[in-house]
Order: sequence, then structure tokens, then C-alpha cells
Amino acid sequence: MIRFIKILLLIIGIFCIISQQAQAVAKNRVLTNVKVIHASTVSNHVDPSLKRIISELKSVFKYTSYRLLNNRNLNLGFNEMGRVALPGKRTLIVIPSNMEGKRIRYQINIQKNRQSIFQTRVLLKNNGSITIGGPQFNNGVLLFNISGSVR
Amino acid sequence: MTKKSKCHSSENISRFVDKELDHDFYNEVAQHLDHCPDCRKISEAYKTLSDVFTDHAHTQISKIDPGILKQKLVSPLEHIEKKSMGNFFGIFSKNIYLKLASITAILMISLYTLQGYYPKGPSAIVKSVDTDFASVMIIETQKEKHTIIWFSET
Repeated sequence: MIRFIKILLLIIGIFCIISQQAQAVAKNRVLTNVKVIHASTVSNHVDPSLKRIISELKSVFKYTSYRLLNNRNLNLGFNEMGRVALPGKRTLIVIPSNMEGKRIRYQINIQKNRQSIFQTRVLLKNNGSITIGGPQFNNGVLLFNISGSVR
Repeated sequence: MTKKSKCHSSENISRFVDKELDHDFYNEVAQHLDHCPDCRKISEAYKTLSDVFTDHAHTQISKIDPGILKQKLVSPLEHIEKKSMGNFFGIFSKNIYLKLASITAILMISLYTLQGYYPKGPSAIVKSVDTDFASVMIIETQKEKHTIIWFSET
């Protein structure tokens, strides 16, 4: 019985090694999701698709309404640029540069009238997200929730 | 007429037969046996018994094969010694590869399991922010450590 358990453990260990190697080889695409959210105090509407992050946003902001304006999935390679049109003649540009440990290095740029108004470099946790906010829009503000996961 | 000396005890006669007496006493008992039929009879009985025992023992010993005896006595001792050495130098035992493989498997499973929990810390580490606007805040929520960058266009 002990011998059987040992052999089983050995097989599982080998499986783990192989799957890790396979993941290391295959992970060269970054699935990036951008959610454009309009936050305001004009109502109490909360978009059901924002359920995962809404509690975090509510813990920081005083807004009562969170409405999803746009939801874009971008399948990007490293150093490949992804563009998302934002309200108010703004554009969001995301570029996953490389991996740094278990995190994805992103360059994020927000342009207005083709002029860069904000840019940042972040190390995003794989399968994690960051929210960037602040631009005024329709009696509220715009929030951009950007998540990334390597594939 | 020769005077008959005093008879010896059966113990002394037995020791005489076995040649365990000192020289003088041995000669004294030997002289006595020449003249005493009773003691001689006892002596001959002891001698017969001794001869029978010696012959039988010799026969039994001659039947023993030294090779078989060695195999029966020494081999188990060598086996026990080897076993104890094998236990002492555990790494030389034949199951070493299985043991190493098991340890490796446990380590790999542990690493694989823990991988999902790392990296710890905020959802995003902000390396740099570049904006023409003065007001920028970086916030980390308490519960999920979700990173929020807040900037003002005004």
C-alpha cells in the first residue's frame, strides 16, 4: 500500500513538472480586459457584470451608481498595443511589455484629443486587475478597470 | 600374605579413570586396583561408560559437515550485519530511488499548490506615473488589496 502511494505521488509530481513546463512554453499571449465604468451619484444602479469588483470600489468611493459603458477583451502579444475608445474623445492604450516574476508589466496610456494626458507603468498580478479613474463625464467620473492574464 | 589397602571412593576411581588425579595419588589408586577386585570392577564400569560416551561423541562430531555448520551459523549473522549496515547507510538501500522520487513528488505538489497564492501583495505595483495633472492618488483597498490610481483632469 505504501509503495502504491509512493508511486502515485511520483506520477503526480511528474505531471506537475510537465504541466508547468507546458504552461511556460504556451504563455505568450496576454488576455487583457478593459471595463469602462461610469460612476455617479445620480441613482443606485449597479451593473450586475461589475459584481466582482463593486465591493472594492464601494469601499473607496462615495458613488452609488456604477454603470458599465464598454467591455473589451484584447488578446495581445507582448509589446503589442491594444486600443479602447473612451467617452469624451479619449483613448486608452494598453501594452503588455513582459513578465516580471509572476506579474505582467503593462504600459497604460490615456489620450485626449490625441494628446497623452496620463501614462503609467504597472506590474499587474496575473489574473489581477487595476482601476484607473478620475476623468469627469456626465455628472460623474469614468473608471477603467484593466485586468490581465497570460495564456 | 599381602595386606589389602583401604578401598577408594567411587569419585576418586572415576577421577582415576578420567586421569584427573595427581601423579602420586594416581599411582596409589593404580596399585590398589591391582589387588582389589571390587574397586577394579567399579573402575572398569567407569572406563566402559567413558569409552562409550567418547566414541559416541566422536561419531556424532565426525558426522557434522563444517561447511554446513558454517552456513547455518555464520550466514545468518552476516545477513543481520548486512541488514543493519543497509539501515545505517539508508541511502545505499535498494529503495533509494523510490524514496527520492516520493520526496520530489511531495515537494513538487507543495510548490504547485502554493503557486496559486503567490505573488502576495497588491493587485498591481505602480512603477511610474506620468501626467501633466498635479493630483494623482494611488489607493489600495483593504479587503482584496485592489490597486486604484486616481487622477484629476482639472
